[in-house]
Amino acid sequence: MAEKQKLIEIKNLKQYFPVGHGQVIKAVDGVTFDIYKGETLGLVGESGCGKSTTGRTIIGLYQATSGEVLFNGVSVHAKKTSQELKQLKRKMQMIFQDPYASLNPRMTVADIIAEGIDIHGLAKTQEERMKRVYELLETVGLNREHANRYPHEFSGGQRQRIGIARALAVEPEFIIADEPISALDVSIQAQVVNLMKKLQREKGLTYLFIAHDLSMVKYISDRIGVMYFGKMVELAEAEELYRNPIHPYTKALLSAIPLPDPETERVRRRTVYDPSQHNYKEGEPLEFREITPGHFVLCSEEEYKKYKAIYS
Amino acid sequence: MEKLLEVKDLQVSFQTYGGEVQAVRGVSFHLNKGETLAIVGESGSGKSVTSQTIMRLIPTPPGKIKSGQIIFNGEDLAKKTDKEMEAIRGKDIGMIFQDPMTSLNPTMKVGHQIMEVLVKHLKMDKAAAKERAIELLRLVGIPMPEKRVNQYPHEFSGGMRQRAMIAVALASNPKLLIADEPTTALDVTIQAQILELMKDLQKKMGTSIIFITHDLGVVANVADRVAVMYAGKIVEMGTVDEIFYDPRHPYTWGLLASMPSLDSDDKSELAAIPGTPPDLTNPPKGDAFAPRNPYAMKIDFELEPPMFKISDTHYAATWLLHPDAPKVEPPEAVKKRLRQLSSNYPQPVIVKESE
Repeated sequence: MAEKQKLIEIKNLKQYFPVGHGQVIKAVDGVTFDIYKGETLGLVGESGCGKSTTGRTIIGLYQATSGEVLFNGVSVHAKKTSQELKQLKRKMQMIFQDPYASLNPRMTVADIIAEGIDIHGLAKTQEERMKRVYELLETVGLNREHANRYPHEFSGGQRQRIGIARALAVEPEFIIADEPISALDVSIQAQVVNLMKKLQREKGLTYLFIAHDLSMVKYISDRIGVMYFGKMVELAEAEELYRNPIHPYTKALLSAIPLPDPETERVRRRTVYDPSQHNYKEGEPLEFREITPGHFVLCSEEEYKKYKAIYS
Repeated sequence: MEKLLEVKDLQVSFQTYGGEVQAVRGVSFHLNKGETLAIVGESGSGKSVTSQTIMRLIPTPPGKIKSGQIIFNGEDLAKKTDKEMEAIRGKDIGMIFQDPMTSLNPTMKVGHQIMEVLVKHLKMDKAAAKERAIELLRLVGIPMPEKRVNQYPHEFSGGMRQRAMIAVALASNPKLLIADEPTTALDVTIQAQILELMKDLQKKMGTSIIFITHDLGVVANVADRVAVMYAGKIVEMGTVDEIFYDPRHPYTWGLLASMPSLDSDDKSELAAIPGTPPDLTNPPKGDAFAPRNPYAMKIDFELEPPMFKISDTHYAATWLLHPDAPKVEPPEAVKKRLRQLSSNYPQPVIVKESE
C-alpha cells in the first residue's frame, strides 16, 4: 500500500449540527481515512449514519466542526483567497442522488454542462465552448442534439448522465458520487455504473462512492468503509470486507442483504447488531486499529487482542 | 389449489395531452390462496397500474379499464361501482404503499387510523376497536403499543411507520394484500425485519400477497411465484425457482445479468440492458423489447410473440422458444444459474388464445 499516493487525507473529521436548546447532532464523529489516487472508496451505512454528511464536508459544502481534510496536501477548510478556492473546487466535483432535483429546469443542457467551463474560463471562444459540450455529451453516451434541450425532456438515467457530464466539464481529479444510482431502475443502474468505471479507466479519476446498495458498492469499489452513527466502524478492501467482516455491525449489515437466489434465501440466517454486545466499560477508549494489513476495525484494546488472535 | 384472484386480459389506458398511454396491455394471471406473487419490472412497466386497477384506485378519467376481468372471490371487480368498491377496499383487499410518510394521515393518531378500518368494516364499537388496534400494533412488532396507539405518524421512525401501515392494511383480516414496493424506501436491516414480519403474518392469517418490487433479492426472499412485466405485458411467469434457475425470456436474462453478484469476485463489466423502455403512447410493432434485445430476430420487429408454456407453471412470451428459432446462449451470468428442472415439458408449447 505504501507506493500508493494519497489524494485525500481525512483526519479526525467531526461535523456537529446544533439543533437548539444547546443540543447537537453528531452527524460525523471523528472519522479518519485516506483516499488513494485512482481508487474508488465505497462508503456504506444506514440512513442517518453520516455517510452523506462526510461526503459533503470533504468537498467543503459544510465547514467542519473540527478535524482536517487534505486534498493533495492542501487543507480544504483552511482560509484561502478566492483564487485558491476556485482552483480547489475545480479539482473536486460531486454527482447527486436525485437527477430530477439537481439540474436547473430553466437551463438548457448545454448551459448546465458549460457552467463550470464558463466560471473557470476554460473555453476562449463560443465554438470552443460548444465543442467541449458536444465532446462531454458523447463521453457520457448522449449526443450533440441533446445540447439545446431542457432537463425535463430526459429520463432519469439520461439526467444522471448529464450530471456526470457536468462534473467532468472542469476536468476534476476527484468525484464524490452521493447515491448516484439509487433513483434509477435496475437495468439503467448498470449502464451508469459501467459508464463511471469506463471514465475512471480513461481519465484516472478517484471516486468516493456513497450508497446503501451493498452489492453495487462491492462491485464498483476497491475499498469500502462502513459507517455507523457517525463513526467508521470498519474499513477494508472490498473482497476482504465481504469475505471476512470483523465488526459485528458489518456482519449484521451483510447478513441482512437478500440475494437473488431462492435457495440461499430459504436458509439465510440474519444476525442482529446490538451495540451493548461489546460490553465496553464506561469511558473505554475505542480506536480504529489495523487487524490484518489494510483491514481496520473500530475496537477496544481488549477486542483488538481478540480479533488479532482470530483473524491473523 | 384454490384461486383467490384471477385477472384476465386486463387493458388499462390513460388519456393524456400526448395521446393515449397504454399502460397495461393485456395482462392475465391468477393468485392462489395463501401464496405470494411477486411482480417485477422497471418503472413504467405497468406493475403499479395493474395492482392499483385491482384496487380500483385508478382515477377515471384520465384512466380507463378498456377491457378485461378481475375475478376476486367469484366477482368481477372491473364492473363494480365506486360505492360497491368501498365495501371491498380496505376490508377484503388491503394495500401497503412505498412511502409510509405520505400514505398515513399526518393529522390523525396512528391508533385512529387503524380503528377507522375496524369501525367502518367490522362494525366494532370504539372501545373494542382501540383494544384491537393495540393488539395489531403489538402483532407487527411495535414496542409499547398502549403508548404508541395515541401518537402521530411523525413520532414514528420510517420502519415503524411501515409497520403501522401494515397494521392498518391487516386490521380487517383481508384475503388479499397488495404491497407496492413496501421496503424500497427502507434500510436493509429494516427491510429484513419487514419482510420477516410479512411472511410471519401470512403464515398466521393465510393472506395472499401481491408483492411489487424491482429488487430481485427481495423477490427470491418472499415470492412463491414471479411475474416479470415489460411495457405493459407479462413477458415471463413461473415459480421462483423457474424464474431464477431456468429463465427463458431475454428480458429476464437482462435483469438477472445486470446485477452484480455479492458472492463472486468478478469485476468484468456489468451486462447492462442498453437503451430505455418504449413510449407506451405508441407501443412498437412486434415485441416491445426487441429494440433493446441483443437476441432479437427479424420476426420480433414484425409480430408479437405468443405465450409459450415451458411447464405447468412456467410461461414466457418470446420467439426464441419457437421450434424454428435458432438456439442461443444466454449471457454468462445467467448460464451460471441454469439448472435442469424436471417439471419442464420436452418442448415448449404455444398457449392458445382462449386459455
